[in-house]
Amino acid sequence: MEPKLDTVLRIVLPGDLVSEASSNSNTLKVFLGPGLRFSNNEVRATRAGLLKKEGKNLYYVETMQKRYVPQRREFVVGIVTKKKGDIYLIDIGGHEPATISYLAFENASKKTKKELKLGDLVYGQLLVASKDMEPEMVCIDIYNRAVGMGVLPEGGFLFTIPLHVARSIINPKNPFLLEIARHISYSIVVGFNGRVYVKAGRRAEMVAIMHAIQLLEETNLEEATSSLSKLIDSFLLNYVS
Amino acid sequence: MAQHKGELNFLSRSDGSALYSIDDTVILASVHGPSDVKVSNRKHDGLHLDVCFSPRTGSSNIGEKTIEAIITHTIKQCLLAHLHPRAGVTLTIQEMQSGGLDLSVSINASCLALLDAGIQMSTTFAAVTCCLTSDDVCIVEPSEIELKESKAVLTYVFDGTKMDVITTHQEGAFDCKQLLKCLAKCKTVAKDV
Repeated sequence: MEPKLDTVLRIVLPGDLVSEASSNSNTLKVFLGPGLRFSNNEVRATRAGLLKKEGKNLYYVETMQKRYVPQRREFVVGIVTKKKGDIYLIDIGGHEPATISYLAFENASKKTKKELKLGDLVYGQLLVASKDMEPEMVCIDIYNRAVGMGVLPEGGFLFTIPLHVARSIINPKNPFLLEIARHISYSIVVGFNGRVYVKAGRRAEMVAIMHAIQLLEETNLEEATSSLSKLIDSFLLNYVS
Repeated sequence: MAQHKGELNFLSRSDGSALYSIDDTVILASVHGPSDVKVSNRKHDGLHLDVCFSPRTGSSNIGEKTIEAIITHTIKQCLLAHLHPRAGVTLTIQEMQSGGLDLSVSINASCLALLDAGIQMSTTFAAVTCCLTSDDVCIVEPSEIELKESKAVLTYVFDGTKMDVITTHQEGAFDCKQLLKCLAKCKTVAKDV
């Protein structure tokens, strides 16, 4: 069972009519999430997937996408690719690299600059993300605190997963990451762009965690949880020497 | 009607892919994007679409370029291109097995691949091929032998919402009456597709 309160309505394909708005429907406000478009007084789907309803009036289409399209306020894991004056260019998996100012870190000032090396991994939040502009990242919240964001420590392991898997394991109601934690102690950072950073004591443990999470691509949560301990044990036994 | 088979997410590394077959024709389509494109291809107001058709053997020729052009034209009508300015989508179509219905299978495969990649589209689309024999009988989704003996081959692409024709491609000689007859026949078949 998916640990979600959102109700699945039905499967939609692009162009499917979701609902027709009548002119006097001002009484009920409906919010359209990703995958839905309003045109000519009709709401039509633009992506294939499950039409879901969250709360009272938020509708969206849940898809199995692999390519990330930047959205504002989403947390992402990026790789530093270039230094350009006082900004860094960061690859977040979208079609354009995101920018981050060297001042957008906790306790950074013009005198105490944050130095990033090429290839460093950065966990941050998207401040600007619209289709017409380059995305901009920050590693601080509005109170100038890092709250876990910033450069990720070395010795970890980065891999990519489809976006719907990333979204599902981030969900605080999802017990999967806690289930792994019963076997291995580790730290994990999951970006909305499908990049996952894992750090554990041993390399074999990190590989085991990667394979455990990749189980979710093909199977549902229940099956993945039941085969979890077997999978992790097989990895750890092989690499014990 | 010929047997249709489709498989989504066939390739693990592309953003979206689909394997589609009608009888003996098998086509694999894969989509990459929305991703970065060359500056020369970059459009300030929309998505750049690049279609590449590679045949089973040898390198692509003028015949393949025609197919690419038809597919590009078809997809452009269904894509919501304005949602991803300065980005590009690459669609690679690989012919796996040829049974004569290359064009319609490629179009159906690319539609499924685009669905799998989660690219925003205004509608889905489906293609149907039929042929006219020398005694004016219309065969829908003919076999390779039937294609060779026919005097005209017609392919129609319909959109998934209103069932309107968005692309046609014809080869051979026929009159207006026959065209309309084939069109009606294809339309009923396309609903199933």
